[in-house]
Amino acid sequence: VTASTTIAPARWPAWRGSVALRVVQSIVLSFVITGVLILLANKNPLAAYEQIVLGAFGSWARIVVGLNKAAPYMLAGIGVALCFRGNVANMGAEGQIAIGGLAASILALTCAGALGAATLPFAILAGVLGGVAWAAIAAVIHLVRGVHEVLVTLMMNFIAWLVVAEILHGPLGEIDAGFPQTPLFERVAWLPKLVARSDLHIGIVIAVLAAIAAHIVLWHTVTGFRWRLAGASDKASHYAGLSRARSVFGLMAVSGVLSGAAGAIEVLGVHYRLIEGFSLGFGFNAIAIALLATLKPLWVIPAALFFAFLETGALSMQRQIGIPSSLVLVIQGLSLIFVLCAVGRGARKV
Amino acid sequence: MMDAALAIDFLSATVRIATPILMAAMGGILIERAGTFAVGLEGMMLSGAFSGVVGAYLSGSIVMGLVAAGFGGLAFGVIIAIATTRFDTEHMVTGLAANLLALGFTSFALRTVVGGGHAPVIHTPLLAPIPIPFLADIPVLGALLFRQPPLTYLAFAAVVAIALFLRRTRGGLLLTASGENPLAVFAAGTDPIRVRFNALLAGGIFAGLAGAVLSLQQVGTFTDGMTGGRGYMALAAVIVGRWLPLGTLAGCIMFGATEALQLRVQAFNLPVSSYVIQMVPYLAALLVLAGLGRTARLPGAIGQPFHRD
Repeated sequence: VTASTTIAPARWPAWRGSVALRVVQSIVLSFVITGVLILLANKNPLAAYEQIVLGAFGSWARIVVGLNKAAPYMLAGIGVALCFRGNVANMGAEGQIAIGGLAASILALTCAGALGAATLPFAILAGVLGGVAWAAIAAVIHLVRGVHEVLVTLMMNFIAWLVVAEILHGPLGEIDAGFPQTPLFERVAWLPKLVARSDLHIGIVIAVLAAIAAHIVLWHTVTGFRWRLAGASDKASHYAGLSRARSVFGLMAVSGVLSGAAGAIEVLGVHYRLIEGFSLGFGFNAIAIALLATLKPLWVIPAALFFAFLETGALSMQRQIGIPSSLVLVIQGLSLIFVLCAVGRGARKV
Repeated sequence: MMDAALAIDFLSATVRIATPILMAAMGGILIERAGTFAVGLEGMMLSGAFSGVVGAYLSGSIVMGLVAAGFGGLAFGVIIAIATTRFDTEHMVTGLAANLLALGFTSFALRTVVGGGHAPVIHTPLLAPIPIPFLADIPVLGALLFRQPPLTYLAFAAVVAIALFLRRTRGGLLLTASGENPLAVFAAGTDPIRVRFNALLAGGIFAGLAGAVLSLQQVGTFTDGMTGGRGYMALAAVIVGRWLPLGTLAGCIMFGATEALQLRVQAFNLPVSSYVIQMVPYLAALLVLAGLGRTARLPGAIGQPFHRD
């Protein structure tokens, strides 16, 4: 018996059952633990969860808020899921969303007069290009200088927030608004409504279509196969003669497109102006959502809806029975940790 | 005369702002050199800031507050360590999840467990400065460096201690080896997984104390999300410092100086906005990384799981 054989097993026994089952178990487990926390706070967990459900689905207006919230989460989440699949740890959705929203706003504010009815598509395009540009900078720094992508994308998130703040406090800011925001966009730049006389904009449709498209690309095209191979095994990918630079750049660009679009629909569909902090936390939520969806584009749809409705429901729970809405972060954090533990790194199988 | 006063005020603000980042960054060095991405520093720090204030408030003793802060950071270190080492989870995302959890838990617990439904206003006495005899009487420098509260001394002492630990002790060599080449550590008869686990615990304590620097030494209360990204700044400082204690100290001072400058833009009559100045540390981090390119490489096996088979 050598010293090495006496070391305790490096891993705990694996979590069993299908991936879907394990994800559901993880979410249930996080609700149970959170319920214990609510009990410790001398409140009734069942009443709290009832209020979350009522607040999320209690009326058409509540559902609309949740769906609008889910759209950017979904778009950015798909981009992150693809990147992680391809072994690109892209933490930069946060910054790409912010720059996407900024670019869309600049176009909507400066070109509405000249473009007329074409303002909206061009504003979305500007958002997409903004997101791609931000992602491309990160990809180039990563590929050319060999800096780890996590570090580059994290740093660029902070820079993106500050760029938005700088522009809002400077050239684009509304005078005397008392809050860092731009003036309202012209109506030609507003995202159309999905249902007349409601606040529901078409963002959610765009996001669902994007998820389906991403699913098809990932599973039924050569490009998708290359991405999956890059994620599954560096060596296999290399021996197959595939260029890592190409897949990294492609994946980052796709993430930029989707995150930029997420930023654009948020400013064009919800606020009709650029507001400081309009997308704060969206990109980090997108990462959580992608992992909760175990990196499957179609699963991002329910995962994003889960996050969005949990958030709208929690706000109403706080108003109704005084349990702080920060509870939602506990549920989100716990379910993410449990899903990560339940799925491990198995999510990247080819 | 006015300029000198302004300069001293600027320098002491730099030290004050740099201290919590430095303390967290020292934890970050231990964690990253052992092979785990330290994205969870923010959550550990927030948890430490919270437990510190609550511990001091409930026990009536600031020393108990410090102990509680250490445990608060440690608790999140344990969570991250179990997930990353035992379940092989992705380090960055695990860190993010822990940060979400810490933000939610501290805010929730503050209102329910302590406040009875509302955000309570808890004030704790601040850790008082301890002048060091003789040294504190040196003009300018004395006030700047030797009339500091205890955790500031501890943070700067940690720089030296960790530098010596990593370079000069068996434990330190095992730790860095676990981050560079875990198989070699394993062959030498130590479990690299255990080393990473322990590094996360130690890093958690440092980050918890970093939270206490904010809550018990500088502010005297806890507010939601009061760390405000300082954990990420600590991470950036570790990167700028190339995973070395002294370099990281320089990175923290740079962060402290830019933030101190940003608060004094008007006093100094600078021609740029405070947002541009706030970008400097991040741009500097990117430039340092890009400039050094592949020579600024991370610990070789960071983020990679280790399997014996």
